[in-house]
This record gives sequence, C-alpha cells and structure tokens, in this order.
Amino acid sequence: MAERSFESEVLKLRAGKGDVFRGEGILAVTKALLQSGVAYVGGYQGSPISHLMDVLNDARDILKELGVHFESSGSEATAAAMLSASINYPLRGAVTWKSVVGTNVASDALSNLASSGVTGGAMVIVGEDYGEGSSIMQERTYAFAMKAQMWLLDPRPNLNSMVDMVEHGFRLSEASSTPVFYMMRIRECHVTGEFIAGDNIAPTYSSQNKVKPKREAEKIILPPNVYDQEQEKVATRWPAAIQYIRDNALNEFFPGKYDEVGIITCGGSYNTVIRALERQGLADCFGNTDVPIYVLNVAYPLLPEEVIGFCERKKRVLLIEEGQPEYIEHSMFSILRKADIDTRLYGKEILPGAGEYTGQIVLLGLTEFLEQYPVEGLHLQLSSAQVRDFQNVLTIEDNKLLTENVPPRPSGLCTGCPERPMFSAIKQVQKDLGEFHISSDIGCHSFATLAPFNLGNTIMGYGLSLASSSSIRTALPHKAISIMGDGGFWHNGLTSGVTSAVFNKHDGVLIIVNNGYAAATGGQAIPSLVQPNRLIATTMDTDKANRLDNQPIDEACRGAGVKWIRTVSTYSIDKMKATLREALTTDEPGLKVIIAEGECMLNRQRRIKPLIKKSINDGRRTLRSRFVIDSETCTGDHACIRLSGCPSLTIKPNPDPLREDPVSYVDNSCVGCGVCGENVHSAVLCPSFSRVDLLYNPNTWDRFIARVRRRLISWMQNDRLTTNSL
Amino acid sequence: MVAAALGGEGGGVFTNWVIDVAQANNWLCQTTSLAGVAQRTGATIYYLELFPRAEAVSEQPVLSLFPAQGDIDITITSEIAEAGRMIERGFVSKDKTTLISSSHRVYGISEKSDLGDGSIDASELIALAKRYAKRFVHYDMAQLANAHQSVISSVMLGALAASDVLPFDKASYEVAIRESEKSVTSNLSAFNASYERARAPAAIVESFDPVQREAEFVFPDARTEGGKALFKHAQMYEPSLHELLYHAIVKLVDYQDLAYARQYLDQLDSISKLDNGNSNVAITRHVARYLALWMCYEDIPRVAQLKTRVARGDSIREEVRAEDQQIIYVAEFFRPRVEEVCAMLPVGLASAILNSRIMFGFVNFFMGGRKLRTDTVSMFALLTLLAKMRRFRRGSLGYLQEQTRIGHWLEAVRVLASHDQEAAIELAACGRLIKGYGDTRHRTTLQMSKIVQRIQNVADTNGNRSWPSAAELVRLREAAFAGDDNVAFEEALAVQS
Repeated sequence: MAERSFESEVLKLRAGKGDVFRGEGILAVTKALLQSGVAYVGGYQGSPISHLMDVLNDARDILKELGVHFESSGSEATAAAMLSASINYPLRGAVTWKSVVGTNVASDALSNLASSGVTGGAMVIVGEDYGEGSSIMQERTYAFAMKAQMWLLDPRPNLNSMVDMVEHGFRLSEASSTPVFYMMRIRECHVTGEFIAGDNIAPTYSSQNKVKPKREAEKIILPPNVYDQEQEKVATRWPAAIQYIRDNALNEFFPGKYDEVGIITCGGSYNTVIRALERQGLADCFGNTDVPIYVLNVAYPLLPEEVIGFCERKKRVLLIEEGQPEYIEHSMFSILRKADIDTRLYGKEILPGAGEYTGQIVLLGLTEFLEQYPVEGLHLQLSSAQVRDFQNVLTIEDNKLLTENVPPRPSGLCTGCPERPMFSAIKQVQKDLGEFHISSDIGCHSFATLAPFNLGNTIMGYGLSLASSSSIRTALPHKAISIMGDGGFWHNGLTSGVTSAVFNKHDGVLIIVNNGYAAATGGQAIPSLVQPNRLIATTMDTDKANRLDNQPIDEACRGAGVKWIRTVSTYSIDKMKATLREALTTDEPGLKVIIAEGECMLNRQRRIKPLIKKSINDGRRTLRSRFVIDSETCTGDHACIRLSGCPSLTIKPNPDPLREDPVSYVDNSCVGCGVCGENVHSAVLCPSFSRVDLLYNPNTWDRFIARVRRRLISWMQNDRLTTNSL
Repeated sequence: MVAAALGGEGGGVFTNWVIDVAQANNWLCQTTSLAGVAQRTGATIYYLELFPRAEAVSEQPVLSLFPAQGDIDITITSEIAEAGRMIERGFVSKDKTTLISSSHRVYGISEKSDLGDGSIDASELIALAKRYAKRFVHYDMAQLANAHQSVISSVMLGALAASDVLPFDKASYEVAIRESEKSVTSNLSAFNASYERARAPAAIVESFDPVQREAEFVFPDARTEGGKALFKHAQMYEPSLHELLYHAIVKLVDYQDLAYARQYLDQLDSISKLDNGNSNVAITRHVARYLALWMCYEDIPRVAQLKTRVARGDSIREEVRAEDQQIIYVAEFFRPRVEEVCAMLPVGLASAILNSRIMFGFVNFFMGGRKLRTDTVSMFALLTLLAKMRRFRRGSLGYLQEQTRIGHWLEAVRVLASHDQEAAIELAACGRLIKGYGDTRHRTTLQMSKIVQRIQNVADTNGNRSWPSAAELVRLREAAFAGDDNVAFEEALAVQS
C-alpha cells in the first residue's frame, strides 16, 4: 500500500487499439511496455520513477493476465541482473530506477549485460533526477551509456513520442543485441497528456509457455569471450544500431527558412526550444519553425552522417545539451573535424556549463546566439537585455525585502513521524556527552541533517552509513554512530555495512530506523514489512508465529554475527536515551545495533483512518487522541518547536496583551503521536501540553462517570474570580 | 499557469480539477509538477498549459514543461510567502500575470523556532505583490476553507474561476467538483464562497487601512474602592500607557490580589520618575510590560490556577473540534522538579530541603514525568487546592527569589537611567528575556542577572569603568535570543567585559 494509489488509473492500461489514453507520462510508458510485449518488469523505487513502480504494483492483475512477470527488486543491482533473461532468450524485459544513483548501484550487472549482448529487447527506464526537484548529486547517465555501450533514448516529451520510442527501443535493442537506456526527466515523468493506444501484447514466453533452456557459452563474460564481445560491440552491434536508427528515422529534422543556421537539441529539450523560438517570433505553437532543428531522440550513439548532413551547408549551429561534461558537443566536434566541415558549432560557450536548461535559460542562450551572430532577415522580438529583465524584475530594495520575508521551507519529517522522537533523544544525549559525528544515510532520516535537528555529517549512499563510519571511527572521541533506514538496510546495509563491520570488529553503534516501509520513496513494501492489524504505531510483529514469510531485521543482524541488539520504540524517548547512552559507553566489544522501531506515520494514518472510521460507524467505543497547548501557560519561548520541528507544532499570536512573542500552538493536523508529551517529560519543558482523547460511542458507564465529574468539577469551579475585587 | 501549494494542501487535486474544466470546454490541458520526496514539507509547484482543441485540428501544439519568467498568465499560491517566492523567482510579471494568493501565513521552521518572534511581515509581501503583479487577488483562503469545512484547493479554484483569465464559465468548474465525487457539498460551498469573495471589489482593490489613530483607552468602571484607587493611580501616567497598565493590573490582581497591583504601580513610579520621556516614554513602557509579566511568574499555584479555569474547558473543546456533548479526556503533561516544588514552600522549609541531600533526594523521589487527568475529580481537586496555595505565596522561597531579582533589575535600570537614557531603555527591554520554564527559565534568569551584574560592577567602581552603551545591551539581548545553548550570549559578554 504505497503513498499514492493508482488502482483506478491502472484500468487505463487495458485500453485497446484506437482508444484515447489520457494520463501521466509514467502511466503512458507502462502502457507502452505492455504494447511492446514485455515478458518481465522490475525495478527499485525512487523519485522521479517511484510512481512507475507503484503503477506496476497496482497493475499486478493486468500483468498476470498477460503473463508478465513482475518483481519489486531488492536493489537496482537486483533489477539490472533480472535483464539477464534477455541474454539467451527472445524475452523482452524492462527495469526502472532513479538515476544516476540507481545506475551506479546497478553498474556491475549492467556492464556484464552490455558485454554479453542481448537476444530479447532489454530496456532500463531511468528517471533522470537532474535539476529542480532533484534529491541527489547532479550527474548524467550519459557517461555510463558511453562506457558500457548501451544506447540512450531521450524522446520528445509528448506522450505520442514517448510511447513510440519505447516500442522502437525494444526493436533497436534486438536489432543491435544491445541493452538500451530510456531516459525520463523529472517533469516528463509527471507530465499529463494523451495518445492513441494500441493493443497490449502477451509475451511469447512466460509461465504459460516456457522456454527451452539454452546455453550460449560465448555470451558468458569470461576470457576469452570478453575480448570477442568487445570486438563485436564495435564491429557488429554499433553499425547495426546506426542502421536501425537511420532507417527508422528515430532522430527528426525540422526544416526552416533561415538555412545558414541551425539548432541541435536532445528530444527532452525540444519543447523548451520551440517555446523559445515561438517567443522570438521564429516558430508557431505547432512547432513549425524558421530555424532548422535536428532533434536527437537517440542521444547515444550519434549518427555522423546525420550530423554532417545537417551541419554541412550551415555557417553556425547551436547545440543544446543539458548537463556536464558536454559529451555530445565533444563528439560532434570530432565528427565535423574528421569530415573536414568548417561549420562553427556552439554549445557551452553560449549556454551555461552546468545546471538545468529551463525555459528562461534556453530563451536567453538562443537570443544571445542569434544576437552575436546575426542572420540576414531574421528579427528577434526580444533582445537579450529584455530576456534578462524577465529574471530580474525586482529593484534592489524589493529583492532584499523578499529575501528577508520569504522563509525557506526545508524538507522535514512529517507530522507524527516516529523518527522525530528518536532524533530528539539523540539530541538530548548529545547535550550530555558532547558533540557527535554521525554517519547518515539516504531516507527520510536524512532530513535530520537539516534544521531543527542538525544531526549528521556525511551521506555516502543508500545503506552505506555504517560502511562510511568504518575509517573515521578510530579517530572519533566517541564510538562511531551510524544511522540507517530499514530500506537502506535491506538495499545494501546488511552486506556492505553490518557484515563487514562484524568482520572488522567495528566497535561502533548502528541505529536502524525500522518504520516498516520504504517511506521516503512513497511507502513501498520492504522485506521486513509486517502488515500490522492493530491501531498502535509499531512495526513489531505481533503475529510472528503464524507467518511463513517474515524477514526480521534483528534476525538478519544476528545471523550476520551481531551480538548486541536492542529494539526500542522511538516514541519512548527516555528509553531511547538510556539505550543510546548504554551503547555509547558499554565496554562490550563489537557492533552495537539499536533497532529504533515505530511505524511510518503517513502509512499508519492511511492504514488506521478507515479502521477508526469503521469502528466509530459500527458503534464501537473508540478513542482518538490529539495534543493541545495551553496558550495561557505558554510563555512563547518555542523550546518545544526547536526540540521537535513537528509540522503540526506552529505558532499563533499571543492572547496575552502584555506578551509580544507568539505562543506555540498545535494545529488540526496533529495525529496524537505523543512526542510533545514525551519531550515535556524527558527535556523538562513547560506544563502547557495536554493530550485530549475524544471518545466516540461512550457506553453507559462512560456517560455516568462523565456526568458525575462534570457536576463535581463545576461545583469546585464555583469560586469567584479574583478579578471581581477590581 | 503556475500553481504553488504546500504539501498536503491538495495542489494535485486543484490541478486535476483544472484539467477536467479544460477538457469539458474542449481545451487541451498539459500539466506537470515537481512533487518529489524532497518536497515532503516544502512547496510543490505545478505548471499548466492550456490550448483550445478547436485550433489543433491537424497539428498538435508543442507545450512547454517549464514555467518561464515573463511568460506566465496566472500564478496562484496557497500562502502569501509562497506568492513572495514566486515573485522572487520571476513567475509574476507586471504586464501579464494575474497573481492569486491566500493572504494567510503558514510559518516556516525558521520563524517557528525563534526564541522570540521570528515571524515575517506579511503586509510587506502584500504591498510588494501589488506592485509587481498585473492584478493581485488576495484574501484569507484558509479561513474560508475552514468556514466551509473544506480544503484550500477548492477555495483556490473559486478564486481562479472568478479571475476570468481562463475563458471557462463558472458552471463548468462546479461540474468538475461534482464529478470528482469527493466531499462535493463542502467543496462546492467553499468554491462558491470564494468565487463571491473574489468578485467583491475589496479582494482586488485592497482595502488599505488608513493609518487608524488609536482610540484613546478609557478605564472601565471599577467595582470596588480598591479597584478605583488602582485605576486612578494608573491614570496619572501618560495616556498612551493606559491600556497597557490596565491589562497589567488585571493580570496582577488575578494572579495575587489588589495589594500586589499596588506594589507594582509603586515600583513603576520609581522608574517613571527617572524617565525623561524620550522615545515615547520607552523606559516606563518596557518596565510596565515586563515588570507585570515578571511579577506574575509561573509557579505551581499559578499553573494550577490557569488549568482550573471554567473557560479553559470550552476553549479546549473548541480547539480539538469536539462535538456537542462528546466526552473528552484531558491529560496534562507535568514534570515538576524539586526546585519548583520548593519555590512554593515557605522559605525556611524550602531552604532546608534544598540544603539537605537526604531531604532533596526524598522529595526528588516523588518527582518525574506525570500525566495528570484533570478531567477527573481527584486531580481537579488537587489542582484547585494547589491554586489556592497562592494565598501563601508572599512567604514562599520562589517569591523571595523573584522579588530579589526584580529589585536588582529595577535598581540597575534606575542607575543607568541617570547616566544614559538610551541604554536604560535597552536594559528595560531586556525584560523580554524572562520567560519559559525549567531549564529555559533558569538560563534566561541567569542571563538577565549577568546583564544586571555588568551594570552593578560599574556602579561599584563609582562609574570609573564605562557604562554599557545601548548598542552593547542590544547585542547582549540579541545574543541571548540566538539559541538555547547560551554560547552566543557568553561570547558577547566576554567581548564586552
């Protein structure tokens, strides 16, 4: 049960030939996979392709009907290794992940796959997490495509082109025995649009119609095969790919009347280029252009004869290539030089060397290009100065005013998040024991490196926190502390971290945040997921005995040789502090693992809201909790907010006319997790916090007691206000 | 069109409604968003392009996925600081953009976590937005959503429909809401109310409050002779202080008794005598405010008094949105320490406990985290009893300590006022530091006493050392507000001495 459900949307995947399909880019690509007759799909979630995994998960029924095998892979490496099914057999398959990080994890399997070559079409759909909205370091997948020789598709971002290119991708892969990358930028994943659907095609081979095992020794990556495979890449697969791309016109030429100049762009940036030309009066909204454009829907490999053909009779060409290094620019210079063509190619000297190519940046680059090198008869509607002014409309004073009055909104933990009390506990222990160096990891807990917690020094990759503390540990004044999520633990942490640490007698502390799901990517299932059937916020398996398929984290650690393991509920701040202090001060050698458990609150709310609603509607006695702050006793110092940072904990004007500082206030999004109260106790805060339990469907006894209390209390309250003496 | 909403505000729902409205009017609508996980609590930006299908018969339009500066017709934001952010990013232009924004605030973490008041000035943003947008529609959409038990996205849709930038009639928006089949009634009523509100001239032509001259405050009639005497005493002060003094008197009488308020005014008299009236009697004004608050320090009887108020039960019920007659249980989180318990005891007993390790340990044994169910009879009775203990407050250790500290502060203000009025103003303003409970209170009290000590040290040398300047005191105060760890304050203090 992921954060977003596609249950109704996946029905669109059943669309047949001629139906109009409307929806998100990711859904369209899924549909294209089915129309291409894939036999298997897999992958690992991560923005921007998390939804692709969610769609596939929610589409299990449809996939099953067609005989398509689907797996939620344990990591990107697992997913990449799935593609081996296409080496010996004509099975088409696709896997997906967030790139470039996922590609890095998958690289071993991908390199071997690319060397062996494929029989059935093999496609990797990479969510290119680059530019605004990205959550990772900024790199290109392009480098990997070049060094392992995989083709890289980068279609124009409209649903028709995207769907076509998936189908072509499989054929290209088969024609050239080479796996392909299909690149989707962030905005492309979430773009909505429409296309005319085709029929879904069931794969030839599946659990219904099994293959006959076949051994092709020359495809195994051992010497001397690898030498032959390298030769084959250059001598056979490359030319085959070039031929397919050329014969099927995968790249597109759009002629224009100003023939002496031209623009070369990758498919993904095409719409941005057209918009820029349109704003300069050089194109219409349908893409009819006055400046010739060559669109690389296949970003790798380049086709020298196409490049030469486009550039040959032009004086100047502008290449729009997002990201760095500028591999395409280098290759094109090489192509032109070798062909002795003196057309001047411009790229990164006009457009910025790094960063996303947004509408403003492409417009500015194009304008500067046409201004610096004027074309006879070509008039620009906007000068580069005017374009620059679009970005800088503010006066200096107003700019300053905005900088001061627009608060940053850094990512943070959700309301009621189980990780919040854990980090509060760490912060409190740090106050006692001195400053910590903490090796952090990928996941929601990465947000603890930001305000208000400011905990964590390095992030080296998914599941790599423990590994990354292995060297610094001897130089630290305290036992090394690593924090890892359950997602990271299963993805990589168990092997790279725990196993290696035990082997190397690592005397540090590993905190594993066990919230039950891959929470940061949208609440997908993980191996240690238990389906809790109770209302309490725990990931403890209360039904362990009856489960055949459980994979608990503590047993995995024990199996890897860890002796010191404690499981603590994150919501028990005092217990967490005591456990942490024990782990940091104990003389017991070896790795200390603290499993900090508490169910992801987003998922928990999704899980229990219907349960609570049903319970109330069924007339059962039900309690619902939330917190309030007494604004009479709150003095407005906001220590509670600095300690927790819960989004539901906010401020409001002070009702006391004498006080100037706003009071703290719990807004209606409070889920009653109890952390405020725990903090009051463990950090000795103010007496302003109260938990209010709202009772639904009270029984007779509840009503009787409430009546008695009300009467007696109002009798006691009957003392006159002191201010009556005024 | 650019739409910016905070996480969980329904930006996606809003976008889907617009797609449906466009579809019904035979327009193409392409949307895209940046809603990655990195946006858990941040703002999500949606970008929409719309195109009439009638003009796209043989060819399909090429729509952009990027909002571009200078090319936006509508920018709509769910919160006013987000509107500011859109202006900052260039997504609002004078010749083109209709800016629609809710005028309410959702505070950022930097604003919330400030030790004092870190909130930004929304009116500055509103004034600026008016200067930079072609048209600026703004009102409190959160309030409207609440009033109709709906969500802000339906209010935003109402404002969009009313703005008339998109060529779609109101009915087609209503159909889109109806067809989404979720909370239709409340969403429709919020949509309609917003539509009407946006059409009302006040939403566009901002009713810029002319600088209202504050009506002169008039003391209400006192019921008792003692009350009359207090109000009369207060009326001898400069009129602009009257309202402040009134609130202070009410608070002090509520806290203790009439005599306590008299004690307050007497102490204030000793300050106002030395105030030369500069900066609108700033010394007296600051002391009037902070002395009243300090004198009403929150000890156990005070907290118990506030927790047993009749009005409190109602305000809690309202805040948690309890239904009529619904039973609620209220558990208060307390963690009293020995220090707080001793503060309410008679001086002799309290000192005995604090000075004896055995007795301290004994009392400490009963301390620790407590969740007190104040809706139960026994707990309420206990709190009522504790509240009544305030009668004995004047003999308690806490009273002795706080009055001594107050005395030192006032003395320092008096001494400084005779040398440097500007500096005395800033010292009086340092009264703002005194707040919080437990560790926080301990820290702020300590900081205040160090500031006071600084002046005392100069006085002890008969002014041979230099008095702290106003600027120095401002720096100390700001350093005290810089964080919980006292580091910045100690550094600032070290630099000055």
